[in-house]
Amino acid sequence: MPGKPANDKPTYDEANRLMELSAILFYAFTVLTVGSAAYMVFSKNIVHAAFALIFSLSGVAALYVLLYADFVAATQILVYVGGILILILFGIMLTTLDFTENLKTVTVNMLPASLLSGAVAVLLLYVFFAAEWTTIVPADRDGTMYDLGMMLMNEYLLPFQIAGVLLLVAIIGALLMSTRHKNEP
Amino acid sequence: MQKQLKEGYQTFKSIFIGMAITLRHLFQPSVTIQYPDVRVELPPGVRSKLYVNIDDCIGCLLCARACPVNCIDIETVKATSDVDLGKTSTGNPKRLWVTQFDIDMSKCMYCDLCVYPCPTNCIYMVPEYEYSEFDRKNLIFEFSNLSPEKVTEVKDKLEKENEEKNRQKELAQQKKDQEKKDQETDTDTDAGKAGE
Amino acid sequence: MLEFLENIIPSSPVALVVFALFPMVIIIVYALFAIWLERKVAGFIQDRLGPMRTGGFHGWAQTIADMLKLIQKEDIIPKDASSFLFKLAPFMIFTASYAAFAVIPFSSGYIGSNINIGVFYLLAITSFLTISIIMASWASNNKWSLVGGMRTAAQMVSYEVPTIVTVLSVLIVAGSMNLMTITEMQTGNDIMGFLPNWFIFQNPFLIVAFAIFAISMLAESHRVPFDLPESESELVAGYQTEYSGMRWGMFMLAEYADMLLLSLLGATLFFGGWNSPFGTFMSGPIWGFGWFMLKGMLLVFVMMWIRWTLPRYRVDQLMHICWSILIPLSFVNFVLVALWEMIF
Repeated sequence: MPGKPANDKPTYDEANRLMELSAILFYAFTVLTVGSAAYMVFSKNIVHAAFALIFSLSGVAALYVLLYADFVAATQILVYVGGILILILFGIMLTTLDFTENLKTVTVNMLPASLLSGAVAVLLLYVFFAAEWTTIVPADRDGTMYDLGMMLMNEYLLPFQIAGVLLLVAIIGALLMSTRHKNEP
Repeated sequence: MQKQLKEGYQTFKSIFIGMAITLRHLFQPSVTIQYPDVRVELPPGVRSKLYVNIDDCIGCLLCARACPVNCIDIETVKATSDVDLGKTSTGNPKRLWVTQFDIDMSKCMYCDLCVYPCPTNCIYMVPEYEYSEFDRKNLIFEFSNLSPEKVTEVKDKLEKENEEKNRQKELAQQKKDQEKKDQETDTDTDAGKAGE
Repeated sequence: MLEFLENIIPSSPVALVVFALFPMVIIIVYALFAIWLERKVAGFIQDRLGPMRTGGFHGWAQTIADMLKLIQKEDIIPKDASSFLFKLAPFMIFTASYAAFAVIPFSSGYIGSNINIGVFYLLAITSFLTISIIMASWASNNKWSLVGGMRTAAQMVSYEVPTIVTVLSVLIVAGSMNLMTITEMQTGNDIMGFLPNWFIFQNPFLIVAFAIFAISMLAESHRVPFDLPESESELVAGYQTEYSGMRWGMFMLAEYADMLLLSLLGATLFFGGWNSPFGTFMSGPIWGFGWFMLKGMLLVFVMMWIRWTLPRYRVDQLMHICWSILIPLSFVNFVLVALWEMIF
């Protein structure tokens, strides 16, 4: 069953039902994201915090999906869950730190911290209320890959290449660091 | 580069050779024997369980004496003269009731030493190996075919006969003594009589 | 398939759930069959018979009996284990491998989600497998588990690179990430007049790509000779050491599901997915499903065959193979595939 034909626009009822389902999913994933993030911040166990980060990042990926950005969502999972988090866990487990020991989670610098977060909250609320929100139902989500590829290879070729070179430099640097260590007695 | 190519070629070659071997074995008939359904025929002379053909046993205790671990326990009762126990298949006359012939297979070490002394070839190994038990006592095999009543009867009989014999012996002894005494007195009297 | 289900089932959400559970049925039936097959293959290769007694013909019910046994077993959670993560890990690993099946086109009539980023989604979602294994290994609070988990992380992160590069070289030829589109492109028998239009026959460098993909497939699903995460002779059972009962069964299920997933991915990318090898002969949705599963099972069989042939690699050898052979080779091969596509 190769999906719906592209010209088959969803009827109003269908779209409505879809929106409702999306809303439920959106709130579920928001709770997951924010809840895991909160757990990560307040957890006393560093490994638990790292695992909570997985759920937070996956929740963000799910939110991307709900925004019809499937490529970004998959990238989010591939890069953060598949790469960075594994490296974080690796780092935690390989360091000599006794990670079963409870971490200190006390609040320091109470005043500046609360001022800063209050400012950020005000800014976000301002943006939320100032923006003119319009609801659109995207007709189809096919073609994001194609468009992305075209953009990356035509308009944004230079930034793309520069990012690639940057990563290459990082890889070479890592190799250099690990091999130089070996040559020393 | 050349060396690495050669190495890579060797690696793949050896992997494929190994896989060809396992593929060949995949289609070879297996060597498994489906044990409870199919049994291997044991070679002759296999030592797995002792068996006593009690009809041929003459109760000579040679096997019990030969046993290095004392796993054979035999008790015999002499047959009374009024019964004839017959002969064994090898022609030896049977003179003893074998009231007890126990072999403790949990002690037995399968040395086969008890088999050779037997004059009537009545104790031998049989190719039977499925006699595991939950209780060690169940590994004591009793070969005597006499019922306990029969055993007591036989024992009583022998006792009686022995008593009888003893009595007769005593009687005979008494008689003898009497006769002796009599003779002594007789000789006295005889002499006296003879003198008369 | 979804329309058909909606026709026979009055409620459309129920039809949707039935539709979504279809791969689950395939996974469970396949896992029961594959575990039995693994034992039989192991037995036959070693000139034994394998399970023979449960269920009659060649012990076909052995895995069902084992599953019933696993369900009845006590659910043991070590005292010092991190209880929540310990309980979560088996479900997460199975969810990850089940979610990946959503984009596999089982036949021309069935694909869970016909999304545009198919392969990319599959590669992304399988990274949850690694995380769940690390989670299981850390939560067990056991040194064997932890070492197994570390090895898994190192192995899977490393071997993801050659896998992705070989998949990319197929994507160059196909020009799409949608697995359904990729499969549809391989329909027909035009190569040399009789060979099917499978990608492995279309481009000679894709044979090399398939070899690399097969090797990294073994490593990704941690099968022998790359089964270091659970190497029995060194690490008891690796990350599964503390697990018992049905939780362990979930790991087993996920492992076999992973094998099937990667085999089916290989079959889709290189061997034409649900396309019949005889052109239009024996094609159609149901035949297509049969062909697809046959191709997948053949690859699974090859994985089993390799398992009972080759010894296990050492950790350093494993890393050496990946970083100094497979990755450079796959990149060079990637360029060659692209050149071939440009020229022809």
